[in-house]
Amino acid sequence: MTRAVLVVDDDPFVRKLIATTLEDVAEFELHEAADGVEALEVARREHPSLVFLDVDMPRIDGIEACRSLRSEDATGDPTIVMLTAAHGDSVERQAEEAGADLFLTKPFSPLELLRLVDRLDEKSS
Amino acid sequence: MAVGNESELAEEIERLRAELATRERESADRQQQLERYAADLRETFKEERARRDELRQSYMATVRALSNAVEARDAYTSKHAERVTAYALEIARALGTQLAGVEEIEFAFLLHDVGKVAIPDAILYKPGPLTDNERSLMEQHPLIGVEIVRGIEFLGPAAEVVRSHHERWDGQGYPDGLAGEEIPIAARVFAAADVLDALTTERPYRPASPLGVAREIIVKESGGQFDPQVVEAFQTIPDETFERIAAAVR
Repeated sequence: MTRAVLVVDDDPFVRKLIATTLEDVAEFELHEAADGVEALEVARREHPSLVFLDVDMPRIDGIEACRSLRSEDATGDPTIVMLTAAHGDSVERQAEEAGADLFLTKPFSPLELLRLVDRLDEKSS
Repeated sequence: MAVGNESELAEEIERLRAELATRERESADRQQQLERYAADLRETFKEERARRDELRQSYMATVRALSNAVEARDAYTSKHAERVTAYALEIARALGTQLAGVEEIEFAFLLHDVGKVAIPDAILYKPGPLTDNERSLMEQHPLIGVEIVRGIEFLGPAAEVVRSHHERWDGQGYPDGLAGEEIPIAARVFAAADVLDALTTERPYRPASPLGVAREIIVKESGGQFDPQVVEAFQTIPDETFERIAAAVR
């Protein structure tokens, strides 16, 4: 089964790096979005099973986008992984309240990223 | 003077432009290098994962071979280990503990009776009741089993199940007479699955019981032979689940 994974970050290089790290590690189609507004558009169209969501973004930030992803039926019910800056305890709390499932602290460990996707993939298969 | 300043300024701007271009090129190169790292890490991860999966399969094949060797002696218990393992995994899942996620738990269930290889046929297949001596020898099989699997590191907590699968919640079991939560949870789960399979399969001296009857017997032993929480979890599993396993593994 091919699933959709959505990477949301306003820095195109971070998106590229995540895409490169995860390429063909599991069977999924990778989609990218540069901010919260775009993220919601893509999510409504692709129903991702997994979303990586940066917190600091223009227009709609990660927290707000997370809340919308959770409340809208059309976006499916993805596992949401927040990409947070270090020392962001209050941000993590907000993100949790908004419905985030997991956190990766930036600069994120690529190995942690790989293991996370592998684990989610094993669970779903 | 002003002319000189202007040309100096133009030169400076030119120099800065060139420097900026160099920096941008360097930055792009570094990004590309970083991407190479990410790609190589990914490939290494995939190779590691493939090796891990291979290893896991070898372990499973080895454990199955050992389990089959135990069962090959007895036509009546044939496939018992495989079935009881599937039952026990269902109960572990229903119980909602981390247990079902422990990889080695399947090994543990498959190998529970490995100690029986050391029990003479005359006792193992005796049609009548066992004498006291015979019974005490028979009750050694969990300890013999532990001796057999001792030192096989990849079996992890399997030894606990091998040793304690005949313990009873009320403390009346063997070989250690453990009671309640002294008995490892995997062994408590397994005990219920073991009895379920024993009751629902035919034996030389009695026919198989229907699932409903087996359920009644197990529920009656809640807090006696079995952990009440295990029985509760067992009761949430529909008949169809057990029937599907019984039909698939025969």
